[in-house]
Amino acid sequence: MTTLVQPEVESSGASGVTGSRPASFTGLAQLVRLVLRRDRVRLVLWVGGIVGLVVATAASIVGLYDTPEDLERYARLVRGNAALIVQAGPGYGLDDPTTGAVVMNEMGIWTLVAAALMSVFMVVRHTRTEEETERAEMIRALPVGRHAQLAAAMIGVTIANVLVATGVGITLIAYDLPAAGSVAYSLSLVGVGSVFAGGAAVASQVASGSRAALALGGAAIAAAFVLRAIGDVNESVLTWLSPLGWGQGIRAYADERWWVLVLPALATVGLVTAAVALQARRDLGAGLLPERAGPSVAAPRFSTPGALAWRLQRGALFGWMTGIGLFAFFYGIVADQAESILEDNPEMEDFLAQLGEGSIIDAFLSTAVLILALTATGFTIASVLRLRSEELAGRVEPVLATPTPRWRWAVSHLAVAVAGTVALMLVIGGVTGLGLALASGDVSTFWPIMGASVAMVPAMLVLAGVALLLYGMSPRWALVAWGAFAYTLVIGLLGSVLDLPEWALDVSPFTHVPAMPAAGFAWTPMVALLAVAALLAAAGVAAFGRRDVS
Amino acid sequence: MSAAISIEQVVKTFGPTRALDGLDVEVATGEVHGFLGPNGAGKSVTIRVLLGMLRADSGTARLLGGDPWRDAVDLHRRLAYVPGDVNLWPNLSGGEIIDLLARLRGGVDKRKRNELVERLALDPRKKARTYSKGNRQKVALVAALSSNAELLLLDEPTSGLDPLMESVFQDCILEATGEGRTVFLSSHILAEVEKLCDRVTIIREGRAVQQGTLDELRYLTRTSVTVATERPLEGLDAIDGVHNVATEDSHVRFDVDGHALDAAIRHVSGFGIRSLVSQPPTLEELFLRHYGDELAVDGDGPAPGTESGELADPPEHGGHPDGAGP
Repeated sequence: MTTLVQPEVESSGASGVTGSRPASFTGLAQLVRLVLRRDRVRLVLWVGGIVGLVVATAASIVGLYDTPEDLERYARLVRGNAALIVQAGPGYGLDDPTTGAVVMNEMGIWTLVAAALMSVFMVVRHTRTEEETERAEMIRALPVGRHAQLAAAMIGVTIANVLVATGVGITLIAYDLPAAGSVAYSLSLVGVGSVFAGGAAVASQVASGSRAALALGGAAIAAAFVLRAIGDVNESVLTWLSPLGWGQGIRAYADERWWVLVLPALATVGLVTAAVALQARRDLGAGLLPERAGPSVAAPRFSTPGALAWRLQRGALFGWMTGIGLFAFFYGIVADQAESILEDNPEMEDFLAQLGEGSIIDAFLSTAVLILALTATGFTIASVLRLRSEELAGRVEPVLATPTPRWRWAVSHLAVAVAGTVALMLVIGGVTGLGLALASGDVSTFWPIMGASVAMVPAMLVLAGVALLLYGMSPRWALVAWGAFAYTLVIGLLGSVLDLPEWALDVSPFTHVPAMPAAGFAWTPMVALLAVAALLAAAGVAAFGRRDVS
Repeated sequence: MSAAISIEQVVKTFGPTRALDGLDVEVATGEVHGFLGPNGAGKSVTIRVLLGMLRADSGTARLLGGDPWRDAVDLHRRLAYVPGDVNLWPNLSGGEIIDLLARLRGGVDKRKRNELVERLALDPRKKARTYSKGNRQKVALVAALSSNAELLLLDEPTSGLDPLMESVFQDCILEATGEGRTVFLSSHILAEVEKLCDRVTIIREGRAVQQGTLDELRYLTRTSVTVATERPLEGLDAIDGVHNVATEDSHVRFDVDGHALDAAIRHVSGFGIRSLVSQPPTLEELFLRHYGDELAVDGDGPAPGTESGELADPPEHGGHPDGAGP
């Protein structure tokens, strides 16, 4: 890379930019260095987090299933189980189960999703966010090519994905898993990460704001997940429309299909080419759609901090509602199929009998609602942390220079977070129930699912409280809230696999939510969680009132 | 006259940096007070302490008779603020932002608002995302000036405006003072301060290095004099406070400190003045003198020995060393 660019920089200094090569990528080497310098902490956290998760999962699986009988017992439980296929994937290699196949089934899809998320965040951060903050203008005013920043972001994200893949590959090999499968999975991590990086590059051209670009990228990941889930359950072609499906389609540890790697490679090239073409056609700072004029006078009710917070966040909330509503509908429809598995899977029946009194559909729904609630917590935290981005963007100053008390401004965004969280869980409950009712013709499950959804709210609000407390102490610490979110995700999705001590599970508020509708409702944990959330939030508001506003 | 702003010995540190280092500022009610200093002198930090965004480490700050930290909300009903770096919500239109900020303060004076929008030639329908720096500043100015606040805190409010808009802004400020409002205007645009301000505080490295009326400060600065005399002018160099004496043909040009003006002219008149042109000091020169030691390093002025001593230790305002005659 350096050798490619260096002569160009020199020649542009000597004879101008009218060389034989297009100068669109001039300055690339310096910009890549800038990307890596800016992200050195983030990269360590992402790579360390993802690899750490793989280490923990692999360790516990290798420990739990160390005899062929153990592996077979696991496989019998999972094979053909639509409910688990939705969440884990097709389960390649479980017909004749190896440790590798079990590891893939347990963490394969989530690690792919994590790499995809990392890639989307990183690309948007270095492209659209740069334009939005007008830093890009400063860079572009230098002798830097039109596409150099985009290219630098893509190279940076590729380096990040390679680091993740290398760490994961080494981990898997270190746990005595076959080298071929480990390498295959590592390569598919790079492939999937790159496809979504390319998607984020396109999103950054289309959207005129970084939040919208992130939303498009996130929606792409969600869509890919749903496509492959439906495809995996029906064994249909839909899986092959999903980059996440390709990531699993390589069949790591199960008779690898190396040619599948061609798909993400082609898709990445196509997406990056599209992004470059779009970038060449638009003005710096502009999206694809022209900016419409707004009203010259504000609507009468647009006069309070609450109205402002709602205005700033409603777009994100509607986006979340739509996205998670689609997810929920799909889970509802699939839930019906869960029952048919029972008939030819006595092990599953035993397994569920151990869980509690609920039916298999109830057990599936409990898990589905938990997963949806964990995902929706992403909105809850982002919504509270809007306080942070408003402050760092210097937009809190004009508001606080009016007679608006600090607590009122903080509570205005918290109120949107709380109301939005409740709304999301109502959507999740209602749409999952609707999907199941449509699929099964049985409406009796509607209210239990609704109840299960709403019961998640107190646990989600505890995380809102954590985010607010961290923000109240310092906007710099506020991002630790995402660490807390990641922790609850890991505990929620992998807690049973990871073989963790009791207290580590108890730290996550979701551990204390009764697994409705499989389990019954209980008041005590709900009230306790709400009290904790309220205390955290109050402490956060109090802390915010005492510190300097930057 | 009661003080609108009174800052005494305020210290504010950020880690190892002492942003404010024992700052004193006094702003009387009804005056336009200029707050001058180079980048990083602590102007914005001072304003943010006054707004209750930052809490001073020590010292006392009083604003409109209240404590800017403790009474922030009540005080903010009575003041309007224009930040130096105006950041707006990208997806709201300028008009919506103006109305929102005005309503948060207590209400919109529609007539005033529309008049200002027109005078500043702002298109309120555009989304803030598409505004230039100057237009963002106009949004903040309209929001602040259309209020009936008794104190205006303005942090370099014209740094993005073109000269035409700058003069509109100046008219608006003069109207505001006509209504009896107090204006605290931080700036490094000296012409603006000179045109608008009754009194000036010069801040440097977190301390006030000068405070006074423009006249008082001018008194301390050098007047440029070009004089032609009947007999050859001699002995001018010996007067304390006279600098840069240069003879060109029949004219002699020199700069003289305010306190030495009397002595110098008396000396010159002894040689029979045929013509005399004097140029009053501009704030520009005043300003340069306070940061002159940086310039002096670059070899500014022919008498660096005496000058650097004076610059490091400027005379107290109002101090009149007796005019030592010839």
